[in-house]
Amino acid sequence: MASTVAQKRLFTEYKNLATNPPEGITAGPVSEDDLFLWEALIQGPEETPFEGGVFAAELKFPRDYPLSPPTMKFVGGGVWHPNVYPNGTVCISILHPPGDDPNHYEHASERWSPIQSVEKILISVMSMLAEPNDESPANIEAAKMWRERKSEYDRKVREEVRKGLGL
Amino acid sequence: MDPSFDLPDSTDWLNTPLSLLAPLESSLRCQVCKDFFNNPVITSCSHTFCSLCIRRCLSKEGKCPACRTSDQELKLRRNWAVQEFVEAFTNARPGVLDLAKKAARGDVGLEQPASKKRKVEHGEDRESDSVGADGVRTRSRSRRLDPQPETGIVEAVEDSQDEDFIPEDGLVACPICNKRMKNEAVFRHLDACTGSASPNKSRNLGPLQVSQTSRSPGNNTTEKPPGRLPTLNYSILKEGVLRRKLRDLGIPDWGAKQLLQKRHTEWMNLWNANCDSKTPKSMKDLLRELDIWERTQGGHAAAASAFAPPSVMRKEFDKEAWSATHDDDFKRLIAKARKKSEEQVRTTIPKMEELPSESSKAAADGPVTNGDKPESPRLPSAFLGPAEVASNSAPSLGPSPNPEM
Repeated sequence: MASTVAQKRLFTEYKNLATNPPEGITAGPVSEDDLFLWEALIQGPEETPFEGGVFAAELKFPRDYPLSPPTMKFVGGGVWHPNVYPNGTVCISILHPPGDDPNHYEHASERWSPIQSVEKILISVMSMLAEPNDESPANIEAAKMWRERKSEYDRKVREEVRKGLGL
Repeated sequence: MDPSFDLPDSTDWLNTPLSLLAPLESSLRCQVCKDFFNNPVITSCSHTFCSLCIRRCLSKEGKCPACRTSDQELKLRRNWAVQEFVEAFTNARPGVLDLAKKAARGDVGLEQPASKKRKVEHGEDRESDSVGADGVRTRSRSRRLDPQPETGIVEAVEDSQDEDFIPEDGLVACPICNKRMKNEAVFRHLDACTGSASPNKSRNLGPLQVSQTSRSPGNNTTEKPPGRLPTLNYSILKEGVLRRKLRDLGIPDWGAKQLLQKRHTEWMNLWNANCDSKTPKSMKDLLRELDIWERTQGGHAAAASAFAPPSVMRKEFDKEAWSATHDDDFKRLIAKARKKSEEQVRTTIPKMEELPSESSKAAADGPVTNGDKPESPRLPSAFLGPAEVASNSAPSLGPSPNPEM
């Protein structure tokens, strides 16, 4: 009874992901004492330069989750991608609340709503890895490279993936 | 499947012969809180949510979370049918799930004579372990036993109603105090009724039972708790006026205007959702819920703005709090920048090349702890008490009034 809606919902999602995980995705609270900080592992999608990579990310949930979305940040480095800030923070429309639109281009329908979930976020991020959205580059260098020198971009991504795996 | 996951969830049905019940259960759960619908209401765009969930969403966004159509609290209508589905399903759930799990484990044999089946059914309906011993065909078992808990429920309901209607004396009960009297006398009595309970109600059978008896006769249309709270236009209310309103409502009235406003909204949502309930909670319970809110999201909560980068974009962005909570990051970045300028080796995109090596340690730790988890999931202790909630995030700024607002 004492637990909040956010905690209960996060626990439900955790349980759901643990019993029925989508392919290539693992996620759960870092410590069971704090359900508001999660760690996720995402496999690089096949047939992309990210293939073979495993990317660790940190999800931080606000206290009024699911009214507000969590934030997501890759922690392992090695994610050279137009929609990922150099510090690892992921910039994707599903993580933006419909109220504010810093980039003035996102459709409200793509953005956060309380009926979204961790699973949907992670799936969206996975498909973002495969298909960058260069309308809102978070990493301008990466976006330019992806647009203009695709092969160099692919090579750099593969290199980062190998580095991330410690090869 | 793991016993330590004691929060019921639709995935409980997966890996049982009744896996098709998972989507059924999902559809009986609110998409916002993921719990079974609690006082379900339907929006003007025909989506159903818990009363409290949709009220909170609407007061934040003003839109339906499912389709993003604009909607107003006033237009929400109770959805009794869904409420009944949920009640029936949750009543039947433990028994059915038990059987399904047993069948999944193979405790329930596959070929058994029909006579045995019958014996089991008569012997016990939800008793757990002996069922396995008796061994019955899974399909027929679940089919046969499905109605079993249900009839149990029906009986239970009838029982409780029986208790209400015990005297077949042609008298009717006062909807307020439950005292029995002649039909003609009720209206006269109502004018004078003080509402004190009659001896009939003295049987205290726990919260559920009590509330049930008090509401069961009618569809609770007769006795309505105090009316709903209207939304306030905060922008035209002076802080003092708002504070007085809070005091009049009997809720805490400290803090700056922004906090008063948030608290009033939460209280209004709690209160109005409670009005949608067939079994309304007491004012004391609601105050307790407001207190939980206060400690997690209200004036006693730690600076929630620390995470949620979108707030960077907002006008009321709290610069001090941000720099305080990200002090480490900034220091690290400065140190890194210094080191880099000293080295002066690489000129192109050096940031990306430094990052991986530095943070790969963190990454190496991460997956390991994460990997362990699914094997030994315990109920996180944060889940048990709210105490940690307030304590585990960064510096408490308290109810800092925002000059800009």
